[in-house]
Amino acid sequence: MRILLVEDEPTLRAQLRAGLEEAGYAVDEAGNGRDAQHLGDTEPFDAVVLDLGLPVLDGLTVLRRWRANGRPMPVLILTARDSWHEKVAGIDAGADDYLAKPFHMEELLARMRALIRRSQGLASPLLECGALALDTRSGRVTLDGRPVSLTSHEYRLLAYLMHRPGSVVSRAELTEHLYAQDFDRDSNTIEVFIARLRKKLPPETIETVRGLGYRLVAAT
Amino acid sequence: MTAPDAARPHSLRWRLLAATLVAMAVAVALAGLLLAGLFRDHVLRQFTATLTSQLDQVTARLEIDANGQPRLDAQALSDPRWARPYSGLYWQIDAGAGASAQRGVLRSRSLWDAELAVPADAIVDGAVHVHEVAGPGGANLLLVERSVRRDGSSATVWRLLVAAELRETQAAAARFNGVLVASLGVLLGLLAVAAVAQVAVGLAPLRALQRALSAVHDGRSQRLEGSFPSEVQPLIDDFNTVLERNAEVVARARTQAGNLAHAIKTPLAAIAQAAAAAAVHQRPDAAATLAPLVQEQVSIARRHIDWHLARSRVAAAQGLPGARTAVAPVIDGLIRVMERVHAERGVRLSFDPPDPGLAFAGEAQDLQEILGNVLDNACKWSRKAVHVCASASIEAGTPRLRIVVEDDGPGIAPERRASVMARGVRLDESMPGSGLGLAIVNELVDLYGGRLILASAAAGGLRVELILPAASNT
Repeated sequence: MRILLVEDEPTLRAQLRAGLEEAGYAVDEAGNGRDAQHLGDTEPFDAVVLDLGLPVLDGLTVLRRWRANGRPMPVLILTARDSWHEKVAGIDAGADDYLAKPFHMEELLARMRALIRRSQGLASPLLECGALALDTRSGRVTLDGRPVSLTSHEYRLLAYLMHRPGSVVSRAELTEHLYAQDFDRDSNTIEVFIARLRKKLPPETIETVRGLGYRLVAAT
Repeated sequence: MTAPDAARPHSLRWRLLAATLVAMAVAVALAGLLLAGLFRDHVLRQFTATLTSQLDQVTARLEIDANGQPRLDAQALSDPRWARPYSGLYWQIDAGAGASAQRGVLRSRSLWDAELAVPADAIVDGAVHVHEVAGPGGANLLLVERSVRRDGSSATVWRLLVAAELRETQAAAARFNGVLVASLGVLLGLLAVAAVAQVAVGLAPLRALQRALSAVHDGRSQRLEGSFPSEVQPLIDDFNTVLERNAEVVARARTQAGNLAHAIKTPLAAIAQAAAAAAVHQRPDAAATLAPLVQEQVSIARRHIDWHLARSRVAAAQGLPGARTAVAPVIDGLIRVMERVHAERGVRLSFDPPDPGLAFAGEAQDLQEILGNVLDNACKWSRKAVHVCASASIEAGTPRLRIVVEDDGPGIAPERRASVMARGVRLDESMPGSGLGLAIVNELVDLYGGRLILASAAAGGLRVELILPAASNT
């Protein structure tokens, strides 16, 4: 899952980045409103963490422009401005959630997980595909109730596929959503992790659709 | 503030003076022209009347002899000027009219060798024509003429001319004009002095106002002192009200800033103390206790900040007359926020739309602050549903607004209801938030002179009833 982090305060940005990456997200960051708007308009993000008091262009304007340009990604506003009328303005500008500073990293992560899940039309935090289950809250993967041990890269790949059960996901889409913009996108990396996942799960779980990509199918 | 400069084109004084002086100058000039014209007209009329009576004399003395030649006995004319050469009073008789006229058949002795030249216009017998012509030596003459015919004959028409110099008339007009200009000039001067005095007296209250304002500005006075004309007094009263409110707000802000600073000092001191102890003693247990202590003290400081922030939001907008906020849009906006922020809990919010004219007598932000906290609290605790309704009521003759928020959560036991409304009390430390929710609501409602009533909801949860001032329906 790839996240755009928009925060102008460098210390907090670094802390947020560390927390988000630790939770398995690929993070792109922007320190001002103009860069943020550009990134959000051009890159496919799964969610955005948006500060409001930004240099160059304020956060609400950036958000309104994204929505006017038809950008649908879920946006969480993270700001010190926590009066209710500011929250109303933020939600009405197109935000999907609102978190006031100071905040706990766990709460931010929980809200991000829920936002991404809901944006895929999934109601429950427990994603299931046949015998395979992934709990987004704990990051635990089980097969027939038995835990499966995955590395963080494998987990990220599987989580992305489980958010889109039954649909074909292209390799390009996986690369775009699993790695940040500055990551060296070696075209083989995805295949390597797919192969490793197939070893840990029933091999037919991840189906290769020739010329199109991969699809997660319910393991029998 | 700079010194008042009356010459500035934008000063009231300058504008009033300029307008008055221009109007007066135009009026005086018109009056002068009119009077001069009237005088000249009158003098000319009199002069013409005198000349016409002279012409009558000449006409009366004219005789036509048997040969049909005119004769006039010069001795019979009384005025000695007829006889004195170039005296300025002349008569002349022409024969015929038009191009074939024979000029100067008979002439007064005063004409000597000169002749009167008349424009060759047609003239009806008996009518009198008046002309201005050039006379002997180029003098300006006024000439009256008349034609006569011997009774019963169709023979020659005789034209009788009488002329006199206009010099004296013109001199009289010039003298009159001189006196007129001088007196009108004096009049204009006096009027200008009066206008200056009027503007000075009329604008004196404004100068007093300026002095009062600069006294306020320099901090010598707290309000605009003195009494002013009825046109300005309402403005002054309003301004004084604003000044007083401003002073109150500043005083309150100072108190609050002081309170906040003192409140935060304590946790800061605790943190500094612990950090110093950890640094000096290098004890492993000191370092281990530091992190939770910092967290705890920071959360105390944060609660103080939240409290003061919430209070300041309301205190800033409080008491402005005429504030009016429609209730339904505020609740709709907050419900949109709750549906997003509490989306994960799947809480269903329902709101019976009230009468669209239902309005809160206060700022929108304050109502949002109050209701936002109540709704947030309800959403946090509810299991499935939160219900909101708003209505108008009358309490002791004043219009009141009643907003009820009910949830289906665990509710609050009656004996603990009073304590959650007290400042800083938090019943469940495991719920996120600063724990000030209902305490802040209570404080804000109090500032507006309203009430917060906690009870049990029908669905088993908490029922929060807010009584707030309502804006009268207009």
